[in-house]
Amino acid sequence: METATEPTIADYPREAPDGNGDGVWACSVSLPEPNISDLEAALRTEVDLLTPWYEETRRRRGRTTVGISGATPEQIDAVVSFVAACAEDASFWDAPAVAAGPQWNHPMPILLRHVVEDLRAFYQEAVTSRPGSGAPSQHDMHSWIFTETALGRALLQIGQRIAEVGDAPLLMMRGFIIPEGFWADGPSWGQQPSDATGDERMGRAQSYLVGAPASNDRPARE
Amino acid sequence: MVRLEDLHPEEAEHMRNMGRRFGQMELGVTPWVSPPPLAESTIALVTSAALHRRDDRPFRFGDQGYRLIPNDTDPADLVQTHVSVNFDRTHYQRDVNVVLPLDRMRELVEAGEVGAVSEWHYSVLGANPNPSRLRDAARDMAQRMRDSGVDCAMLTPV
Repeated sequence: METATEPTIADYPREAPDGNGDGVWACSVSLPEPNISDLEAALRTEVDLLTPWYEETRRRRGRTTVGISGATPEQIDAVVSFVAACAEDASFWDAPAVAAGPQWNHPMPILLRHVVEDLRAFYQEAVTSRPGSGAPSQHDMHSWIFTETALGRALLQIGQRIAEVGDAPLLMMRGFIIPEGFWADGPSWGQQPSDATGDERMGRAQSYLVGAPASNDRPARE
Repeated sequence: MVRLEDLHPEEAEHMRNMGRRFGQMELGVTPWVSPPPLAESTIALVTSAALHRRDDRPFRFGDQGYRLIPNDTDPADLVQTHVSVNFDRTHYQRDVNVVLPLDRMRELVEAGEVGAVSEWHYSVLGANPNPSRLRDAARDMAQRMRDSGVDCAMLTPV
């Protein structure tokens, strides 16, 4: 900065340290095999087992990143109810009644994305507190969540329900819930309409996702 | 530094497309101002990590505004409503300094490397396919910085 005399792009020569330490991360919290016949109960079991470690992380770091949906960490049960309901049969246009309590910060359906992120952050903060768990990368976290937890099953089930609705803006939101590489049937964003630019698609999705669309815009199944 | 080859192919292609589009944007002139030496400069942080205080209005999807973050903010009071799921949050969860280096800036001031840190820092939502939508916010942020005696802005892109 001291020597720059014009706009300059320079590659920073140092790499971030490998977050994995020895290169292999394994979650040290033993969670039971997810029971997909009762997803909500399976989610609650996982959250109960992770809670002491989440609290430990929060105490040690002096902060938590949970809370963007409007739910406080103490309202994690409502977050679980919300995710479970949306994985089962709840509408994507109204916050599930079973998840009453929190003052939600966002309208549906984009609220679902933020609720999911709060639950994912809860899991991530919990497992990074356990002794011996090292410092997993984001890919480690996603791999663990999507292959070993009820949360991953719930998110894939939400993704499947979104696919059944088939709305392009909802598919775009699926891309905000399921990272690329973890949706088996192609891009997590789905196939977006080719008759619009990325900006136009984003504009449509924006108006659709941050406010309930007019009733005649809703898919028939809703 | 994250590189395209480290990303999932879908995400890497998305980034390439964004790069191609941005490369076609007409930027006009590129103002360049040589700031005072760092040891005499006041620095403000500008992040696109969509950070905000818990009681502040969250970033909405497509938000074109910005949020103010006071320099004395407790990191526990900061949350992030960035919509993308494809970037690594684990380091931000461990230490907010990776996206908003408040502590590092204070240390640089104490070491005499930097003159002062701005009373206010600024945050926008980086997940935006058309950066020109942030033009008004950028102008307003720049004006506020100028009015408050800021010499340099340090950008932390997320």
